[in-house]
Parts: sequence; C-alpha cells; structure tokens
Amino acid sequence: MGEGFTPRIVGFLCNWCSYAGADLAGAAKLEIPASLSVIRVMCSGRVDPVLVATALLQGADGVLIAGCHPGDCHYREGNYYARRRFALLKKTLETLGLDTERLMLAWVSASEGQRFGEVANQFAGQIMELGPNPMKTKISL
Amino acid sequence: MAPDDKGALFPAEGGVRERVIAFLQKAISQGCFDAVLMPAKAPGTDSFAYSLIGDGQLLKNAYPLPPVMSVQGAKAISSLTRSGKGKKKIAALIRPCELRATVELFKLGQVDLENIWLISIDCPGALPLAEWAKDPKKAEDAFAEILKGGPSESIRPICQICDKFSTTGAEDLHIGVPGKEASGILLIPNSPKGEAILDCLGIAAGEDISGWKDQVDKLTGARVEKKRQAQKELEAKSKGLDKLLDTFSKCINCHNCMRVCPICYCRQCFFESDNMQFSFEDYLKRAEAAGGLRLPPDTLLFHIGRMLHMSLSCVSCGACEDACPTAIPVAQVFSLVGNRNQEAFDYIPGRSRDEPPPLRVYQEEEFEEVEQSHAAVPAKQEARDG
Repeated sequence: MGEGFTPRIVGFLCNWCSYAGADLAGAAKLEIPASLSVIRVMCSGRVDPVLVATALLQGADGVLIAGCHPGDCHYREGNYYARRRFALLKKTLETLGLDTERLMLAWVSASEGQRFGEVANQFAGQIMELGPNPMKTKISL
Repeated sequence: MAPDDKGALFPAEGGVRERVIAFLQKAISQGCFDAVLMPAKAPGTDSFAYSLIGDGQLLKNAYPLPPVMSVQGAKAISSLTRSGKGKKKIAALIRPCELRATVELFKLGQVDLENIWLISIDCPGALPLAEWAKDPKKAEDAFAEILKGGPSESIRPICQICDKFSTTGAEDLHIGVPGKEASGILLIPNSPKGEAILDCLGIAAGEDISGWKDQVDKLTGARVEKKRQAQKELEAKSKGLDKLLDTFSKCINCHNCMRVCPICYCRQCFFESDNMQFSFEDYLKRAEAAGGLRLPPDTLLFHIGRMLHMSLSCVSCGACEDACPTAIPVAQVFSLVGNRNQEAFDYIPGRSRDEPPPLRVYQEEEFEEVEQSHAAVPAKQEARDG
C-alpha cells in the first residue's frame, strides 16, 4: 500500500488554538505533511459533521479536526460540542459500515507546535497505511 | 416517566373509533377544549387529512386511527402554530410517533404547545401509503380488521418493529385501548393539562389499568425482539460502502423523504443550497478519478447528511419511506442509524419535553474514546525561542 500514493487530508483547525499551533510548527520549520489542506474555522464546534462527510464522500483520504484542549476553548465550550458532533459522526459511519479510521479529532493548543507536527504526521502515516479512500473510485456516489 | 398505574374509564360503545369520537364530542360540548386537530376523511372522498374540527357534529368524519399516515401529525401542529400560539384550546389527537416528533419540534422551537393538548392513542400501525393509494376501499377494510385485532402483517415494515406504539410519557393524555371485553376507553392523564380534561369531564382516574398495561408491555417485548432481528438482517443487507450504494442507488433525488420528515424543519435544506453546488471542473475532476460520475451527484451524501442532521431526533415514523417513489427502505435505515446514535447519547426522542437534544448540551468528561489520546502523541511543551 502507499506506492505512489499521496494522501489528501483535510484539516479543520480552530482559529485560536490549533491553527496557531500549526503556524508555530511552520515557524519552527517542523516537517508537516504536504498532503494536509488546512481549512481555518473560528471554532472546532463549528464543524458540522456534514462538512466532514462531504470531504470524505468527495474523495478526501482523511479528515482531521483540531481544536483547543477541553477547558481551554476560546468560546469556553465550543470544543465540547465539537466532541459530541464528532462522536455522532463516528457512530453514524460505524453503523453504516464506513471507515472511521479516516477521521481524527485532536486537541492542539497555540503553543504546541511540536504536538501539531506529531499529530499531523501520525495521522498522515495512518492514512498512508489505509491507502486511498475507496469512495474516490465510485461512479454512483 | 411512565404514568401512574391509574386511569379513567370513559364509558362508550362501538369500535375504537366510535368510542374515541364519543369522548371528543363530550369534551368539546363540555368546553374542555375548543377544537380538535385530528385525521378526518375529506367529505365525499377516500382521503384522510389532518383537520381542525370545532363542531362536535363534524367529528363524525374523524378517524383517530386512519389506515395510513398521509401527513405526519407533527407537521400539522407545526403549521398551525408556526407564528405562535392561538387563543383557542386545541386538542391534537395523534399517533405516538407523531407525538414524539411534536415533542422534538417543541424542543427545537418549531411548535408552540401552550394552547395545545397533546393526546396520543395506542397505535396498531399504518398501512403503506402506496398500498392504500392503489385501492383505498380495500385498504380501509383490511385496516378495519387490524383494528379489531386481526393479523397485522400488512402494516408498514417500520410499524412492525415499532416498540413505542403506546404511551410515551410526554403526552398530556393517553388513550389506552383495552381488550374487547372492556366497556369503554382508558383515559390516562400524564400532565396537569391531562388531569384538567378528566376534571372537566367529571371522571376520576381511579381505574386500575394494570390489565391494559400488561398487554402493552407484552407486545412491547415482542416488538423489541422483532426489531433486533430485523435490524440485524438490515445490517447484513446494507452495511458497507458497496451495499450502501446499492441500497440508495434507486434514489431519484426527489428529496421527498426530507420534505415529509417532521424533523427536517429547515426552510432551506443545506443540500439544496448553494453550498452543495460545485464547479464544472470539480465534477470533472471527480469523474476523472472514478471513471465517471453520477449526476446530479452526491446522492449518498444527501442521505448520510440527513442522518447526521436529524437521526438523534428520528422517531421512526416511516413518513420518508412512505414518500419514496422507488421503495428504498429509507425509514428502516434511518431508524437503525437513529437508534444506534440515540443509544450512544442515552437519548430517546420525544420521551420528555425537558430532556435537551444531545447536541445542545455536553459534559466535560465524556466520549474521550473519540479523541486522539495524549498517550499516542505526547504533548510537549515547546520552548518559545526554539
């Protein structure tokens, strides 16, 4: 698996923590997988599961959602809602027999550039192992 | 949650329908409420529709349990109170699944229940809309047999596995249909508003209803088992990407399932918005990757998206399946996903008016299993000057 395969990973990063964390990782010249396409959202709680399903069904190989650590949300509680929405998404895909390994929810603070690099690389590795998203090859989606 | 084991026996004769109409006529004549919202037969036709009836005489056309669910009752109530409550007291007599959907809409701010009295009734299920449309007279006769306690294999698949066909706990008053030997119907109050109806009628909730309750519990148990079995079979048929695509391949993108869904209350559906319009190049790219692309695209996404948006509130009423022109088992799949999601959040839609929808609340410590753990990627404090 993975021969000549460059995964496309969509990352929904919260403006206040994880996006800043990613920025710090960049400033520190840490290696971040080039396959990560970042979408900045104001809060991880804004990530409607439908957006994630859209990315997956339209062929993203993986979707990462990252926000402030629990208790540290800029809006106090947005990431708790994000976690519930993510749990709903995972359960739904699981019931339908679809891949939940292509999803990741992680907490990365604005000061954790290092951690952002590790999360992104670990997730990219996980997706490399899974191989391309089979939905990409379905005509009748 | 369950009402006390007490109810009132409203003495009446005839079939279920006649007994319920006698109760409603008396309640209207005594001024317990001003009007009733319930299914009725349109004069001179075979069709059933929700009607607002203020005249006790007109109740003769009413059908508390019509053979089909032509419109989901929650939608009728929501259309009535869309711009706020009225001055009249309205009793809405609806099936338990319609009641549960109403309660969900109440929590979502889509109905005003202040002047509405919610009354539910033991439901024997409904026939598939398409079957009824082929020959309404025949369907009505067949359903009359079911109401009398005859075999019920012809009711909709989703009704056959329904385990919430009786009191839900969130109604003001529940009408229990006891065995044939009983000399009336049971009125079981479940709120001060429900008790007020009994007071108004001058009857006390002193009747022992354990016989009826045993009957309900027995059928509930059987249905729970049947549902477990049916969902297992459904999973075998539709789980996994290929089977899922098979299941929904007959979809013609009419979006009827969304339009008739009581929970899908959005005036503009996300899936019909510009958010779901992509550029020609985008479609072309996807077609190139797959070797082709079904158009209009994103059929499966529509269904999965709808599950993500409304499954926690799905009451398994079956309106979507009735409305599907290509007979996709939409309700059965949605009900399966809904049940699993609801279990994960320990939520039963329509169980209580006070229970908040799961996505509106949270606990600080929960669902840790879905997060990327710190053990897997140790968080390191980074030197700022690094």
